[in-house]
Amino acid sequence: MTQNILTIDDEEVILSLLRELFEEEGYSIAQASTPREAKAAIAAKTPDLIITDLQLANSDGLELVGSIRQDLPDVPVILLTGVYFDEQTIDEKLSTKITAYHNKTAPLEALLKTVRKLLSADESPTASAEDQ
Amino acid sequence: MDKTFRLILLVFAILATSMVTEVVLSITNLQRANRSAQWVNHTHAFIAEINAAVTAGQRAESALHAFLLTNNPDQRAQMSQAFGELSEHIEAAKALAASEAESKSEVAELETALIARADIARALLAAHRSGDTDSIHQQLSEDDPTQIDALASLNRRIVSRHQGLLQQRDRVEFNRDNRTRNTLYVGAGLTLLLLLISSWFIRDDLKSRRREAALLAASNEELEARVAERTSELKQSNRKLRAENLESRWSAQALEHQLRYNNLIIESVASPVVVVTRALNISRVNPAFENLIGELAPALVDQSISEFVKLAIDESGDEMIDPFELSLRSNQDLVDHAANAIDHNHKSRPMLASLHPLRDHDRVVGGVITLRPSN
Repeated sequence: MTQNILTIDDEEVILSLLRELFEEEGYSIAQASTPREAKAAIAAKTPDLIITDLQLANSDGLELVGSIRQDLPDVPVILLTGVYFDEQTIDEKLSTKITAYHNKTAPLEALLKTVRKLLSADESPTASAEDQ
Repeated sequence: MDKTFRLILLVFAILATSMVTEVVLSITNLQRANRSAQWVNHTHAFIAEINAAVTAGQRAESALHAFLLTNNPDQRAQMSQAFGELSEHIEAAKALAASEAESKSEVAELETALIARADIARALLAAHRSGDTDSIHQQLSEDDPTQIDALASLNRRIVSRHQGLLQQRDRVEFNRDNRTRNTLYVGAGLTLLLLLISSWFIRDDLKSRRREAALLAASNEELEARVAERTSELKQSNRKLRAENLESRWSAQALEHQLRYNNLIIESVASPVVVVTRALNISRVNPAFENLIGELAPALVDQSISEFVKLAIDESGDEMIDPFELSLRSNQDLVDHAANAIDHNHKSRPMLASLHPLRDHDRVVGGVITLRPSN
């Protein structure tokens, strides 16, 4: 069965590139630009994985993840952002909410590897940009 | 039209010709055999009529002699009947000999001899009727026995000649039968041979075609495998190119995003911020600094910071070193140093200036200067 990925970003070009990347790999893609759209997409079809930006229009990706986690505690979440976080911050602050962190300056191939790993693993491992 | 097909066509043409020839020959021979059978029957009938005529003549003479001796009317009746049959056989023989001159002549010769015998018989009967016994004895004694022998000889000669003709015809027919048989055997043999040749050609051609088909199939398989391999390579190459293209676009947008984000950070700061190069020339300012100086960025960039920010110099030392230069050289932050901001009207405003060196891999490449009003 095709696995479904929900990508959340307020920049259309980012969503478009991610769609192109994952559709080429055979994944089903749902996309959202706002938290409201993201929740509607989750209600329509439960994703197997969520990729979200940190800074969203009028919202915060981590805050959104926090609210999603209540209903979908087992769905892996990748934080994909241009904001740089060091390893200590990731371990101490972010790992409770997200499964993996990726900086937007990192190559897509690294993101794709993380997605493949998370979607093929029974237990979602925590990965960071440094792991890639 | 290929070579094998032409050959088979030729073989079948020869076969058809051979069969037509055999049929024509067979019909011709049948007609000949039919005519020959008619001739043989005709000849046998002729011989039978000749023999019957001579036999009837002999019977008539015997009955006549018996009648002359016994005066028995039955004998006379037998004699008359025998002469009557003789006449019928002669007529039949004449009819059968009508188409052949030699036979006709033979019949005429035989008829003449028989008529001579009949004349003698008539004279004897006439003498018998008149009761002239002496005349009868005289005639009987004068009867030439060679005449009877000649008649018998003539009969044998005629029969012998016709039997000879029959034998001759028989030999001719025998030879013809042999020729016909041989022709049919040769025709059948030729037909069989041609069929065998044709079969061999067809079998050879089929074998050749099967071999060619197998080679073609193998070639097609190889070609298909090559095409599949090449297609796979092209697909892989295309996938790689698309991935590289996607990666390139991703990098470009990431860079653009990062620049925009950095710019956003600087511009959103409310305090005046100036980025300077290692030579302390302005490379970037934020809107707060533009407002402070009263000039837009294009007029400020590449100007020395000292044109717009005058630091208070500690004049107690022997050497007067610019604190900004000192901060960059020592790679140490300068914090809240007294300074004056000079606007485009040369109006001075007291400020506190801080400089934070920009370090790139342990190398100072410039600095960020922030200003705040001094109270």
